Amino acid sequence: MIDFSLSPQQQIVREVAHQIAQTVLRPGSLQWDQQHRIPDEVLLQLSMLRGGFTQGEVPEEVGGEGEGVGAVPDRRHRSQANRIAVLGAEELAWGDASVLLSLPGPGLGGPPVRSMGTPEQRRRFFSVFQQPGLHYGAYALTEPGAGSDVAGIQTRCRKQGRYYLLSGRKCYITNGARADWVVVFATVDPALGRAGHRAFVVERGTPGFSVGKIERKMGLRASETAELIFEEARVPEENLLGGEEYYRGKEGFVGAMQTFDSTRPMVAAVGLGIARAAWEAARDFVRDHYLLSRPLPRYAQLAAQLAQDRRLLDAARLLCWRAAWMADEGLPNSKEASMAKAYAARVALRICAHAVDILGAHGLQTSQLVEKWYRDIKVFDIFEGTGQIQRIVISRRILREPPSF
Amino acid sequence: MHKAMISFALDDDQRLLQDTVRRFCREVLREQMRRHEQQGGLLPEVEQAFAELGLIDLELDEGLPHRTAALVHEELAWGDPGAAVALWTPHLCAGALRELGTPEQQARLLARLRRGPDQRYGRGAVAYAEGGPGQGATVAVPTRGGYVLSGTKRFVLHAPQAELTIVFAQLDGGCQGMGAFAIAGRPAADPQGSFRLGQRHELLGLRAAPAGELVLQEHLVPEEDRLRGGDDFCAAARRVFARAQLLTAARQVGLARAAYELALSYTQDRRAFGKPVAHFQAVAFALAEVHMEVESARWLLWQAAAEADAGRLDLALCAGAAAHACEAAFCAADWCVQLLGGAGFMEDFPAEKWLREAKALALVGGTPQLYEQIVAAQVLGQDPEGNPEGAGLPSPRLQPFLT
Repeated sequence: MIDFSLSPQQQIVREVAHQIAQTVLRPGSLQWDQQHRIPDEVLLQLSMLRGGFTQGEVPEEVGGEGEGVGAVPDRRHRSQANRIAVLGAEELAWGDASVLLSLPGPGLGGPPVRSMGTPEQRRRFFSVFQQPGLHYGAYALTEPGAGSDVAGIQTRCRKQGRYYLLSGRKCYITNGARADWVVVFATVDPALGRAGHRAFVVERGTPGFSVGKIERKMGLRASETAELIFEEARVPEENLLGGEEYYRGKEGFVGAMQTFDSTRPMVAAVGLGIARAAWEAARDFVRDHYLLSRPLPRYAQLAAQLAQDRRLLDAARLLCWRAAWMADEGLPNSKEASMAKAYAARVALRICAHAVDILGAHGLQTSQLVEKWYRDIKVFDIFEGTGQIQRIVISRRILREPPSF
Repeated sequence: MHKAMISFALDDDQRLLQDTVRRFCREVLREQMRRHEQQGGLLPEVEQAFAELGLIDLELDEGLPHRTAALVHEELAWGDPGAAVALWTPHLCAGALRELGTPEQQARLLARLRRGPDQRYGRGAVAYAEGGPGQGATVAVPTRGGYVLSGTKRFVLHAPQAELTIVFAQLDGGCQGMGAFAIAGRPAADPQGSFRLGQRHELLGLRAAPAGELVLQEHLVPEEDRLRGGDDFCAAARRVFARAQLLTAARQVGLARAAYELALSYTQDRRAFGKPVAHFQAVAFALAEVHMEVESARWLLWQAAAEADAGRLDLALCAGAAAHACEAAFCAADWCVQLLGGAGFMEDFPAEKWLREAKALALVGGTPQLYEQIVAAQVLGQDPEGNPEGAGLPSPRLQPFLT
């Protein structure tokens, strides 16, 4: 049944997330951005609430709340997890997107462990999130020389006895420095391309594994972005996700990509949350400042722009919901996930720019959140696959024979 | 009992209906597309075949649910946007009568739209726009037992064949001063008639659906045919136009999808520089872009329709869906012509027709500028034009559009 009303559970998630965003995240947002970090006590407080709306990033079998984002439900077993996740993400990002990226939990590392890991691995790696304190997972794919071109990663893995030795560098890794473990993609031989990829869980404290520089960024400053260095890092063989028999062909590459089917709609929703915040600020500004003081023709133009932006925001949200609904239904959604991400990023960038335009110098003052949102939003057309990569994914899937561009 | 939930799933009845209409469109409308356009009307057997589907009876009996209507009109416009308009004989009238008429009026006037002895449905028309050069507003002057209507209405779809016309006229100033009147029976072709056909319009697109002027010269409408719209005429009239916008949105989505599909298949068959042109990124990315516009337009339409079905018809959602669909349709049709290159400009392919019709559909039941104003009015809680009545019901004299 075509329906866009929220289930009671979805409604609650949205309301609770909005409450938190309004009372906790928004008030701290500017300060955390300036300090380039979020206080631990805020994150601890949030980690207790988290379970409700990320709906079991931690699987049930290790005491989590059930199947979550990245889980692959079968056709009979319907889930709401992905829809809940995008609803919650939009609201929290409306408060502060950096906090959302900094929420303790497996993060982007969750989906590959869940989909590629053996039951033993899932238990071992997820159990850490049941312990008190701040615990993170991370996902390390990008390298200085391989971003969009995932097949071109150079980080090497070589078997030695009961260990794999990993050598190389990963960059721009969210929560990379504070993660308890990182899912690292490496290759047995770059010449093999995608067939050479392997996914490892590298735990903090692994000999040969160290953190390089912590990036300073244009936006999302309170979120930690780290460089990771592997110098013959000794990773036990039982940390190869899925075990050796799992890798017959391109499973490593596919596992890396599958993560995005569930995370791209999420990321799109985060971008939408920021854009909605900016849009609301612009709307309020127009209402309060223009209505009585400016000639009507100018006002009408601004009003039309706000109307247009709101409609684009709605359109982007529905593309997100569509991709999330398909994931919940167990339908393949790579194309839709990319559409949600590509469209939301484009719309969100435009809306944040409009908000700066409308507020004028007010919007550029660093005391204003609008300035921050404008900085925060840019990366949404870059990370988790650039806008161009999304368009490659979409066009390959709509064409009869996938082209090789 | 249906559980509330974000869902994009069609139910079995909807899927069946969609398949049925799709087959009719592929086998009939697509085949006769150029013929319908050239002769400015439908072949009787096509009207007959569509009548067999029973959709018009559903619309007249209780009104198609908005989501079902969205699916049906998307398919019909996919087949041929012009024929889609021409085939839908009740036009906006069934919905308008439900909003504006009393139960007695509905029963009496809807009968005009039902199948006659010749097996054809009566056609409905809505006469709204006016204001040709030097022309004043259409006015209604109360008289004993009714109203005397005078003025010229323009851009009226189905005007030449209408069996029932809903005419909007000014009783007094402003929005609340507007009134709606039902006129049963065809406009006279005779130049002396008090309710007669004026000039026939030659349209950029949608030529399968004739449109023209209607001239009212001291035409008497009995009191019982004034449609008062319950307690709040303006609010009811806005809802009529909101439904018109959903219809436009559905048709534009159908047109957009048709254009997208043609561009997608043509660019994969057409080879240049040793490979299909779709395998060049400049082309592939354009296709991806168009695909996103088409899909997002459909979901906006579905959302607005689902809200309306739940009894929450939202003017801004309807207007937003229409604005977005108009943009998507123009984008898709323009890219379709562009990607077909010279072939897109020729009448051998429907691309050029779709590009003309995307523009024409953007002028049926409102304009994208009006739609943005409706959204803006809700966003800012005020009509940006400073109209104290609030936006949503356009002046018949400003920025006229086809109804």
